[in-house]
Amino acid sequence: MKRFSQLAAPYIVWAVIMLLLPMLLIVLYAFTDTGNEIMTFRFTLENFVKFFTDPDFLLVLWRSIKIALKTTVICVLLGYPIAYFIAFSPDRMRNMLILAITLPTWINMLVRTYAWIGLLSEGGIFSQILGLLGFEETELLYTEGAVLLGMVYNFIPFMILQINTSLSKMDRSLMEASNDLGADGIQTFLRVTLPLSLPGVVSGISLVFLPAVSSFSIPKLLGGGQFFLIGNVIENQFITVGEWNFGSSISLIMALIMMGTMYVIRRLDAYAAGGRKEGR
Amino acid sequence: MEEKALIQFRGLVMEFDGQTVLKNVDLDIHENEFVTLLGPSGCGKTTLLRILGGFLKPIEGKVYFDGVDISDVPPHKRELNTVFQKYALFPHMNVYENIAFGLKIRKMSKDVIEQKVMKMLKLIGLEGFERKNVTLLSGGQQQRVAIARALVNEPKVLLLDEPLGALDLKLRKEMQYELKRIQQEVGITFIYVTHDQEEALTMSDTIVVMKAGEIQQIGSPQDIYNEPVNRYVADFVGESNIIPGNMLRDRLVRFDDTDFECVDAGFAPNEPVDVVLRPEDIDIVSPSEGLLTGEVESVLFKGMHYEVVVETVPGTSVTVNMRVIKNNEVTSGDGKEKISANDFYVDIEDVKLLDDKEIIARADAQAWLPETDEFISINRIEYDLKEEEGEYPVTFFTSAGTMIQRTIFVVNQPFIRNVRANEAVSAFNFFKTVDEITESQALDTDLKTWANAQGWKLSDEDQSVDISVDYDFEPEKIREGVYKVTFSTTGREFKIRTTDYVEEETEVGLRFNPEDIHVMRRMEA
Amino acid sequence: MREKKRPIGRLIMILAIVFFYLPIVFMIVFSFNDSRSLTSFTGFSLRWYERMWNDSEMMESLYTTIIVAVLATVISTVVGTISAIGLSKSRRIVQDVILQINDFPIMNPEIVTAIGLMLFFITIGVERGFMTMLLAHIAFCIPYVILSVMPKIRSLDPNLADAAMDLGATPWQALTKVIVPQIKVGIFSGALIAFTMSFDDFIISYFVTGRGVKNLSIMVYTMSKRVNPSINAISTLVVLFITLVLVAVNVIPIIRDRKLKREAGDIPTQINV
Repeated sequence: MKRFSQLAAPYIVWAVIMLLLPMLLIVLYAFTDTGNEIMTFRFTLENFVKFFTDPDFLLVLWRSIKIALKTTVICVLLGYPIAYFIAFSPDRMRNMLILAITLPTWINMLVRTYAWIGLLSEGGIFSQILGLLGFEETELLYTEGAVLLGMVYNFIPFMILQINTSLSKMDRSLMEASNDLGADGIQTFLRVTLPLSLPGVVSGISLVFLPAVSSFSIPKLLGGGQFFLIGNVIENQFITVGEWNFGSSISLIMALIMMGTMYVIRRLDAYAAGGRKEGR
Repeated sequence: MEEKALIQFRGLVMEFDGQTVLKNVDLDIHENEFVTLLGPSGCGKTTLLRILGGFLKPIEGKVYFDGVDISDVPPHKRELNTVFQKYALFPHMNVYENIAFGLKIRKMSKDVIEQKVMKMLKLIGLEGFERKNVTLLSGGQQQRVAIARALVNEPKVLLLDEPLGALDLKLRKEMQYELKRIQQEVGITFIYVTHDQEEALTMSDTIVVMKAGEIQQIGSPQDIYNEPVNRYVADFVGESNIIPGNMLRDRLVRFDDTDFECVDAGFAPNEPVDVVLRPEDIDIVSPSEGLLTGEVESVLFKGMHYEVVVETVPGTSVTVNMRVIKNNEVTSGDGKEKISANDFYVDIEDVKLLDDKEIIARADAQAWLPETDEFISINRIEYDLKEEEGEYPVTFFTSAGTMIQRTIFVVNQPFIRNVRANEAVSAFNFFKTVDEITESQALDTDLKTWANAQGWKLSDEDQSVDISVDYDFEPEKIREGVYKVTFSTTGREFKIRTTDYVEEETEVGLRFNPEDIHVMRRMEA
Repeated sequence: MREKKRPIGRLIMILAIVFFYLPIVFMIVFSFNDSRSLTSFTGFSLRWYERMWNDSEMMESLYTTIIVAVLATVISTVVGTISAIGLSKSRRIVQDVILQINDFPIMNPEIVTAIGLMLFFITIGVERGFMTMLLAHIAFCIPYVILSVMPKIRSLDPNLADAAMDLGATPWQALTKVIVPQIKVGIFSGALIAFTMSFDDFIISYFVTGRGVKNLSIMVYTMSKRVNPSINAISTLVVLFITLVLVAVNVIPIIRDRKLKREAGDIPTQINV
């Protein structure tokens, strides 16, 4: 019914104003000079030059990518076995475990991250356990390790759920066929189960890596002021310094990096999905 | 069957969620045999196969392979391979890699693998397909790859779990021959699971017929077809006429009120039995020459032959009066509402089942607004019924007070018993208007409903018998009056396969030889 | 699969569950602590709940969070559903472009969406505060509603609305009596996602708010430097609330199914109504 298409008209206007226009504004600000008057803007590349010539900013960018990579690797290594166990549990158990993994993700991320402060702080449970194990008293909170922990904690459920989905929907008879053809459990895992679950791993990676790169509340809460990431730089430019043009250009750089990553991941995904193009 | 048994199942018991799927199964399978496990879904045939493959562990019982107990051997160490129901080809590998999988696991050298895979591709007729993506192959091709992938490992036994189920009919026929050819060429044991009796008869050396976790019969296709041990096997394998009878003494059986010579023996005197007569073993002759006589009910052309149905024992029938009346509607005083209903008959025994809803339904009471043709509800009915024969008034009202009065006839309706055919039929006289009959969209069904016609087995009242309707008026041109409507059951029929055409409704005789009669033990209920 | 006990898997699973719930349990326990310490539990008390109750800033942030979440959910669910239905009947090109734009807040890092909206509000010269926060929440919630409703609409028979109107329904009736009931699962899950997205949002709210208007996340973020166990108290309430919502969402359909099944047993035969 064509008459129903009119129902979309208000949203089309809204989407252009509230979703598209703000993105265009970021681009506009990124390429213009200081000055908030729309009428007086002047095209410039200076914001980008400033970013790429300052070693401090580059270091922060590199640090952000590094910690996001570490987070991703840890999430894959820890998340896979968990997802595997869930996927091969009996139905009822599987549903319960999935609920158990999903439940915390529905709780406010700030709240969950805040809870770690107490656990990691001086004299808290973790330092007591480490003390009992004979380690020296070390600072746990406000370190890179704490930030990494916070990120893994927040993002690993997405990895687990993605891998679990791809393992759960895998035809069980494929594994039986592998067994039947003489492969033992480990061979079956390496040659059949793992390759077939790679698409899940790949989409898990994108769900972990992207938010990790741009995160700024986790480093702020668990890293204190000491551990600065690119998100914190952007926050500073907007909230504290008031350099909107420079802040916009950093956001744009970050957005471009993420788009690039998405592209690579999509390619990986196509490959992992068994994109053999030989047969016709 | 002098060869030694390659596989022995002993006392297998299997349960899923407390439900028994295998009940103490013993079975021997010999070398180089093509064995088919045949039965409907849920009979345990696939379970048996999966136990042999090592994917299920029986609750009780042992599996011996070459005399060695393999009950605890994991699947990857068993010398047999499986072709899975939906092939289970590895989607991330091409044709070559799929077939080479087992050989690579065995760490064979590359050139040996290549040689073997190529030989297999030739055997299944898919040379040149090595690099193809398996997910892009047709069903038949995937099927062949799955077979090659299993056979390349040179197993002693190949297990096939309904492998042709996903293929269309023509391809299925082709693959039947193909499978038989491959089995003869490689010369190993095939254990084949199917629910398709034709597939089983075509390919097998031995058929194992299963039902509800038990083996019913083991034998060659000829044995199974010609000498089924019971009604179940006879019914499942091929088409057959199965008639209840009595074994009077050795080599003399009685059915359809006639004594017949036969070749079977070893039953107790007068033992109730089931008799099988295959449709192709019966000849149609003139009534005087026939061992049985009957009327030709239907003749269907089937290409190679005619399928003739002859009724030897007539069905049971009941004829009732249908009173067709002109108009049964009442219009309210202001002309805004109309209401209609019919008189109806009801059996004394059914009076207690009548409630408001049932009476509205049986009287077909309706009320509507003639201006808009909108139905309105009948919100009150008044009646006073007793469980005695008689006529009782009933009045239907709408909420606006428009009413109509009708009569309920409570009668003691006798039903027609037919002891010979073990059935009974009952039906009631009924009233209808001209419009209701001309407007009926499925008159036969409506007539059965209006007359409340029912048929059942005398031996078991809960078992209903199909009823057909017969009348000789033209529904489109019906007028007021009384018409006869007959409800009847089908009676005893014989299906006959013949190449000679016969006219429908002619009297014919049926002939068969004593050796065509096959007598079976009755199955326990 | 052969049944095995899989002790290693079991151990991994137990450790994982401990990892996921340790901070939450810790937070709940310490919200009842008698002292200010976040490391040693000195005794049971409700003083932090009392403190929370009397802290006007906290209570206001809780109030803001709830009001914004409820309004954003209702508005975005209604608008999102109607728009999705409209879009599904629009020309292909319009549909593709709008859905692409619709994906921005879902695909982009939240901080980019946040900055964009902030710049937008500054540029058009609106003072930032409660209204801008609400608008921003509606802006990022609608896409999730559309995303969860759209597949349901696509799986509908395209002739459904026509069939309803052919049978005499007005377009409005076709919409509310035929289409909406068919896609209500999608609408419901869209609303649920919208609610939790709004309730949990930090980054976007943080950038588009002003005049001291804070939601819970912003409050936690700005207070995190000082040790303040009242945060544990209010967080415990949040956890309790979300758990209740989720349990309700998971349990209600089961109960309803059972009830339906029971009722299906004795549906009366319809007689000329």
